[in-house]
Amino acid sequence: MAAYIKVPHTLYPDKTITVALYRNVSCKELRKSVMSGAIEVSLLKTSMVIDEFQVLVAANKALHLQHAGTMMTKNVHSEILFCLSPSKNISESFQSFGAADSDTNVVVAIADDQDDERLDKVSEILGKSPVALTELSELADTKLITKAYKVSADELNSYDLRDAVVSRISAKEIITAGKGKV
Amino acid sequence: MNNKTLLKQGAEARLFKADFYGRPCIVKERFKKNYRHPTLDNTLTAQRLKSEVRANLRCRMAGILTPTVYMVNFENSSIYMELVDDAITVREHIAGVQEQDRSTANDVLKPLAVKIGQTLSKMHENNIIHGDLTTSNMLLKGEPSDVKLLLIDFGLSSFEASAEDKGVDLYVLERAFLSSHPNTQQLFDCILKSYRESTKNKKSCAEIISKLDEVRLRGRKRTMVG
Ligand SMILES: Nc1ncnc2c1ncn2[C@@H]1O[C@H](COP(=O)(O)OP(=O)(O)OP(=O)(O)O)[C@@H](O)[C@H]1O
Ligand SMILES: [Mg+2]
Repeated sequence: MAAYIKVPHTLYPDKTITVALYRNVSCKELRKSVMSGAIEVSLLKTSMVIDEFQVLVAANKALHLQHAGTMMTKNVHSEILFCLSPSKNISESFQSFGAADSDTNVVVAIADDQDDERLDKVSEILGKSPVALTELSELADTKLITKAYKVSADELNSYDLRDAVVSRISAKEIITAGKGKV
Repeated sequence: MNNKTLLKQGAEARLFKADFYGRPCIVKERFKKNYRHPTLDNTLTAQRLKSEVRANLRCRMAGILTPTVYMVNFENSSIYMELVDDAITVREHIAGVQEQDRSTANDVLKPLAVKIGQTLSKMHENNIIHGDLTTSNMLLKGEPSDVKLLLIDFGLSSFEASAEDKGVDLYVLERAFLSSHPNTQQLFDCILKSYRESTKNKKSCAEIISKLDEVRLRGRKRTMVG
């Protein structure tokens, strides 16, 4: 069984979402390729990810906004990053949710990766294959996540953190008053 | 993969059961009303959609249970949310208990009434007005010994600090309660008692209850005239 997942979008089944986890790698070169536009993928910080469902919810939303023509950032891969973050500030979102050069683990999310071409390219650059997504739970920093998404103790009494986070991702532009399109 | 099956066709919305990346979900889709002016209709529908999602989130942030929201689609005014497993509405539950033994029903249902009162008190303390409090808009899940109450259907909700709005919210529930469930005045009084006991600000609570009394009186006058 492949370690990564690749699933059709819930509204547009001909579009796909790929999520993969890499461990014990150096992100530097991969980030350079992404920044230069040589490879179009989204690089997410593993400490901010509880499980693949959280990434799927953000990617699902980004692909939907792309289809609707209401993205806030310049392409669907930056939009995945922005959707994952609870912040309305784009550069702040990239800072706290995007993988950094010094990170040794990374979650890769890809929209419409035909024949896994880009995923293979990522594996090649990193010199590693993706590992099981279940390992995400070991890498998540739940304290940091709780703080970033402003989840209160009251809420954690009745919900798990993942549901709290997922609801905020889906409802971001509705609960964040003021600027931004809805 | 994404088989949508129709669960319920309401006056404002259709409810489907579907799959959201491996999780069973409910899709609530608000449809166009042809008798309304299209621009007005779009505005109203978008407002309801936003109100529903916003109040769902505010409730959950206050520790009140609501279904987890998975996606909001403004294109067709739909919300994808967690399908609450094996949930039944409070309405179904009360009817079931009453059917079993009418004479003991109010006693059996008392703990639930207390829970409803506590939940609504918390909701109003956070200035959330539900707008459509009925026993169909409350779900129960879990073991009978540890039953959980969820609130749903926030399309008519708003954020108001006023005693008037909170009083009306309770009045709407009282009317819905008594008309859906025969012989439950005692049970509703139990909800109110628990609401009063749970509300920390006694002064504002007294104002809310006196607004409720006022609205009740107005309601009664209206029925006498009409
Ligand atoms: N997340 C959910 N999980 C399980 N059952 C649900 C869920 N949401 C709704 N239901 C069921 O569907 C019924 C109708 O849902 P809801 O109250 O949201 O719609 P509605 O009353 O048709 O909406 P509106 O008042 O906006 O027309 C509920 O009474 C409940 O039985
Ligand atoms: Mg309803």
